Amino acid sequence: MTLIEDRATVSAHAHAVKPNKMGNTFVKWMTSTDPKTIGNLYLITSFIFFIIAGAMAMVIRAELARPGLQFVSNEQYNQMFTMHGTIMLFLFATPLFAGFGNAIMPIQIGAPDVSFPRLNLVAYYLYLFGGIIVVSGFLTPDGAASFGWFAYAPLSNAVHSPTIGADLWIIGLAISGLGTILGAVNFVTTILTMRAPGMVMFRLPIFTWTILLTSVLVLMAFPVLAASLIVLEVDRSFGAQVFEPENGGAILWQHLFWFFGHPEVYIIALPFFGIISEVIPVFSRKPVFGYKGLVFATIAISGLSVAVWAHHMYVTGAVSLPFFALTTMLIAVPTGVKFFNWIGTMWRGSISFETPMLFVIGFLITFLIGGLTGVMLAMPPIDFHVSDSYFVVAHFHYTVFGTVVFAMFAGFYFWWPKFTGRMLDDSIGKIHFWTVFVGFQVTFLIQHWLGIKGMPRRYADYLASDGFTLGNTISSIGSFLLGASTFFFLWNVYKTWRTAPLVKVNDPWGWGMSLEWATSCPPPRHNFTELPRIRSERPAFDAAHPELADADLPVRKNILDDTIGGPKLGKRN
Amino acid sequence: MKSGGYLFFLGGLFYIVTGSIYYFITREPVGTTALILTAGLAELVAFFLLFTQKRIGYQPEDNSEAQQNEAPADYGFYSPHSWWPMIVAGATAITFLGLIFAVWILLLGLGLVLFAVWGWLFEYWKFERVEPIRH
Repeated sequence: MTLIEDRATVSAHAHAVKPNKMGNTFVKWMTSTDPKTIGNLYLITSFIFFIIAGAMAMVIRAELARPGLQFVSNEQYNQMFTMHGTIMLFLFATPLFAGFGNAIMPIQIGAPDVSFPRLNLVAYYLYLFGGIIVVSGFLTPDGAASFGWFAYAPLSNAVHSPTIGADLWIIGLAISGLGTILGAVNFVTTILTMRAPGMVMFRLPIFTWTILLTSVLVLMAFPVLAASLIVLEVDRSFGAQVFEPENGGAILWQHLFWFFGHPEVYIIALPFFGIISEVIPVFSRKPVFGYKGLVFATIAISGLSVAVWAHHMYVTGAVSLPFFALTTMLIAVPTGVKFFNWIGTMWRGSISFETPMLFVIGFLITFLIGGLTGVMLAMPPIDFHVSDSYFVVAHFHYTVFGTVVFAMFAGFYFWWPKFTGRMLDDSIGKIHFWTVFVGFQVTFLIQHWLGIKGMPRRYADYLASDGFTLGNTISSIGSFLLGASTFFFLWNVYKTWRTAPLVKVNDPWGWGMSLEWATSCPPPRHNFTELPRIRSERPAFDAAHPELADADLPVRKNILDDTIGGPKLGKRN
Repeated sequence: MKSGGYLFFLGGLFYIVTGSIYYFITREPVGTTALILTAGLAELVAFFLLFTQKRIGYQPEDNSEAQQNEAPADYGFYSPHSWWPMIVAGATAITFLGLIFAVWILLLGLGLVLFAVWGWLFEYWKFERVEPIRH
């Protein structure tokens, strides 16, 4: 269904117009204030960090495959899991949100640019430099930070973690967090002030809604983290006593960290819910089911996510269990509404399983399991028993990997023509999906039982008599398959970069809904040469299929629609 | 902008209610402070948005019947490309490194930050002109 042009003629044409030197391209990218280019910078950089942290995960799994210490020392193991968590959360998932947001969101609202182009670029550079500083801990004699990614006091103070790697970790995250805040300011302003005429808030694509609410969460959560990190560094460098256990500093740090840390979980989840909500309607050939319900569910999730932080602190015995158990279980309700909407969108649709849709199905299965174990962990009686065990490790990998990685690949395969002007190969994509999916489930499903049997997280070693060996070996085998799956993606990127034809149509998938499918692949510098009229939440679809613009649902009507209110068939404008 | 303002307003209201309930259940100071400050942040943004909306009046992006030609012809100035973000971020990173390594790095970084901010502010400013260049 793709209209294509022979690659040779296109590139010959391009060369005739302007000689393309690598140095020129480099300077162009380094100084670009084009949100699409900044988005690409974010996506590339965060994917490199993803590969680095994935390699650390391979080291961790290799070490845990058999009892005994084979590859790393205890201290090196601590550095591995600390940096794995830190990089995945702060330097991969969070900037990935900024990457997709920059690359897609301005186009979806019909804007030619973002509100603050230079602020946008400075946010990227703060992230890049902060990330390099965090990782550079590995180049110091004592290695990187090793106190776990939540840096609990007093373990993170100058007595227990005297290394320079710990200092680099703290200030690196403060710098990259500053960048995240500035990027969020830019997103909020752009969405509130730069929408095209007719793009009222309740016509924003779901992905743009999630970018808006995620940015609001960033504004609420990241300043708390920045303040805590700077105070921690003042404790370490200048001898302040804020986080000393004697004056309640240990619990203070946990409160502050998790007041940031739990919204952070939704900062890295909501945008990826948004990607899922964009992909499903296109491959189900139906408009998204319950658009407003989906929006209100997203608002409810982001509102509630600020009030659940201390469920990470049940076992401290210093927090209100009823309050946090209630709010945590409440947040499952809007998340369930989202699942209902996604399934309702697919229900009786004409579904086709191209690679983006496969990754969406993978997300639905994986995140559902993660969500269910989340409800279990929200109950203090269960949490007391499995806290800090591999059950928790399995739970949060199901939620975070399920949302971030599955939805990231869905978004990559879905929007690749918008990023590069070329389609990714669907056959390699399917191999890629199945290796990711099988590898992931083999790695992490077994960890639930490991946790229930009592295997604690963050231990470098276990005894053969503990009975953890078989489960760990299976998990490690799965993780190597999961690690190898990335090569299929890289191969796909390389192959299509060299050989794939250029996409000549605006909408290669045929059923694109939001405005990014109403402009070329990739879009011009200021995104549009012309804008279609915006009269619904899917303007590109209305413009491409004017004969269907009056009908909301291109499916057969039945008695259910008559009873509970089906699509409005009246003229839209 | 109006709906955005109401979004922040209701969000802030939610945090005031949640923060109050949290305080009366737990009497715990850290979370209460954080929740109430979050509410303050949300209400600040809400006030600014609703105030600005009132000041600037009709916006075509808030009209569900608007045509594309209602967009303002002069969209404002957008930097086409710039070296200064890299310099600002680099100077910031050096300043932060000074916090853990040495005071001279900190001072060097602060100097660079001043230089970078100066360059950023005056990048599109030509002294013989009264207003910035429009592209």
